[in-house]
Amino acid sequence: MQGWMGKTLEVDLSSGEIAFQQLDSNLARLFLGGRGLGARLLWDMVGPEVDPLSPDNVLIFCTGPLTATAFQTSNRFSVTTKSPLTGTVLDSNSGGSWGMRLKRSGLDALVIKGRADQPVYLEITPEGASLKDASHLWGKTVPETTLELGQGPGRNVLCIGPAGENLVRIADIMNDGTRALGRGGVGAVMGSKNLKAVVVEGEEKVGFADRQRFRFVRYEASKQLTASPLTSQALPQFGTAGVLNLVNIIGALPTRNFQQAQFERAEDISGEAIAESLLVRKSACWACPIACTRITKTAHREGEGPEFESVWALGADCGIGDLEAITEASYLCGDLGLDTMSTGATIACAMELAERGIIDCDLRFGRADLLEGLIRAIAYRKGIGDELAEGSRRFAEMHGAGEYSMSVKGLEMPAYDPRGMQGQGLLYATSNRGACHMRGNMLGPEVLGLPKLVHRLQVQGKAGMVVLHQDAAAAIDSLVLCKFANMAVAEEYFARAVTAVTGVSYSTGDLIRVGERVWNLERLYNLREGFTRADDTLPRRLLEEPVPDGPSKGWVSHLPEMLDEYYRFRGWDENGVPTQRKLEELGLQDLAA
Amino acid sequence: MIDEQVFRQFQEIGRDLYVAALVSSHGGNLSMRFGDRVVIKRRGAMLGRLKEGDLIDTGLEKADSGVLLASTELVVHRAIYRATPALAIVHAHPRTAIALSLSRDEIVPIDNEGSYLLHKVPVVAAEFASGSAEMVERLPAALQEYKIAMLRGHGCFAIGQTLDEAFQWVSCLEESCQIILAAKSIDEPFLEYRKMSEDYKTW
Repeated sequence: MQGWMGKTLEVDLSSGEIAFQQLDSNLARLFLGGRGLGARLLWDMVGPEVDPLSPDNVLIFCTGPLTATAFQTSNRFSVTTKSPLTGTVLDSNSGGSWGMRLKRSGLDALVIKGRADQPVYLEITPEGASLKDASHLWGKTVPETTLELGQGPGRNVLCIGPAGENLVRIADIMNDGTRALGRGGVGAVMGSKNLKAVVVEGEEKVGFADRQRFRFVRYEASKQLTASPLTSQALPQFGTAGVLNLVNIIGALPTRNFQQAQFERAEDISGEAIAESLLVRKSACWACPIACTRITKTAHREGEGPEFESVWALGADCGIGDLEAITEASYLCGDLGLDTMSTGATIACAMELAERGIIDCDLRFGRADLLEGLIRAIAYRKGIGDELAEGSRRFAEMHGAGEYSMSVKGLEMPAYDPRGMQGQGLLYATSNRGACHMRGNMLGPEVLGLPKLVHRLQVQGKAGMVVLHQDAAAAIDSLVLCKFANMAVAEEYFARAVTAVTGVSYSTGDLIRVGERVWNLERLYNLREGFTRADDTLPRRLLEEPVPDGPSKGWVSHLPEMLDEYYRFRGWDENGVPTQRKLEELGLQDLAA
Repeated sequence: MIDEQVFRQFQEIGRDLYVAALVSSHGGNLSMRFGDRVVIKRRGAMLGRLKEGDLIDTGLEKADSGVLLASTELVVHRAIYRATPALAIVHAHPRTAIALSLSRDEIVPIDNEGSYLLHKVPVVAAEFASGSAEMVERLPAALQEYKIAMLRGHGCFAIGQTLDEAFQWVSCLEESCQIILAAKSIDEPFLEYRKMSEDYKTW
């Protein structure tokens, strides 16, 4: 088989042992790489008895068979672990160049176990892998660490900031200085291991089974990316925040902790506003023709971002319309290693609790002046920040107000109100890592008309679309490619690309089936952890409080009607447990409890 | 119960198929999958004039009384849903595509739109080409790889997330086939306008 490098690296931080191993080719064929391979390895390594912040948890960094092939967006990689925020299986993926470099260092996967006695960093070069003292780096920000470890041509740095060191449950891992493995608290797991950074070098080439066929598929994909206004105009011109006005217009932009679905200052914080007032230039990840990244400048500094979800979480969700303040808050989250989405949404939750008199402090919606102090307090666990560092669910429950955490399975929800996008609500409720718009996104069919427009408030039939989009996303996360490429390029192109690269024949149906296998494996993992049907739900507000005004006025989520159809579509029983027949179809029968 | 918005989608696509001459008065059929259920056109109903009662709701895996009324091709639709990610199926009788399927194992569009959207369409053969075991075996296999496939001498089956997506592949295929036919009648050498033209056959 070509495409995979055939090698993994296992590092035990407790013992200092470093061992290169052969990749299990059968697992690679069944789970591809990235999220799929990570979930399969995690299944064997981390059981329900393991505390996510204990040395027994692992971090599994995976590339995929398309990584570093120069197929469009083939820069990505993922990290898999048990989440300290949700207790679920968790993978988070990121772009930039680090993933490409990890593959070129000759690795399909890097597994980190144990806990070092003192802060260390891992360096992987053509000469081998070694652990080095990181005492001098502990406490430093992401930009400082990245610079000090020599990020540059041929050498890529991945690290945590102070938030990860302080075991903040919404801490992320950053790579290449500004890209984020954002969700679920992966940074806290890395911090719990006393691992500050992983530096990779390497120039190994990926093998191709059929280079000419690969060239043709890539050429055809380039036509789609060029023809789509989304990937050739909207994303390059306005970045991901280009979608903000659109979501606001239809009445699906969660505002003030989901109390409203439209934000009166949406235009002030939109992608258009960023382009007009802050944009210095656009930038792109390795091998990406889209270039959605924003390099921006405020009165105080230059930085990367903000992304749509960051603008929303630190903006509309907190009732803040000051774009400069939001942008600087986003920069700061990146510097300190915090997930912008969970950080903004947790602050929004605290604002609502304060306005309701549940907590006694001066937090109020719209208080942009408090953002910087709050973010620092979270990262360093100071004052109220120590409570917010636990994420919105634990924070709200501490104050007897769990219902005001707008989360699913403890992961804060993204920037689409499920009452105005019925399929999106089902997607959040059933997502294996908690509420997530990247585990399949109904933005395509419900808003953008991709591949075809389906009424956003339609209920019947949404289950099937959600299943298909979830399975496709799981496959794409296992290849590992960017979801934005998939907004123009259909799965049939990815199937042909991976076939051309690996020499293993994947039809479009086979590729989706890999995604279905991954989804069911993740489901089995969560069931083993004790999750049940009762966890496939949404916050009470979204099920019972109708949207107060705007185009979605009067709507609540019709989740209960969709959930039964969803389970039937998946071949699960009424409790959401995969049937034996389904597991046999997917080759997972040996993993069932 | 079939949602009103869903019924309207069947009506609109059915009407468009008939108006575009992609089916005869009582030919072709449409279906959608909902969980473990399939909604399909009633046997004998006219796609161009679908009305209340013309859609049958039956099981994906298990037969029930719905099969008494369902389209002849129900067995094929079920097999396609079981084997592919399809959420909707359009079966039509595009005339030029059927004519070309008689002499070809695959149809490779030569026009820009067809090349861009379809690349290549496989032709599968079945001795008995209506609701047969051979179709059940061969069509789902082809539709794992391609979004539309021709059944030699009979018609096409297209899949999509929605009926209108599947309809697009049918409409596009017939247009491409008409262009192939027109180009043959003009009978002049083609000037190259696509890079890697020969590679479309490998799709």
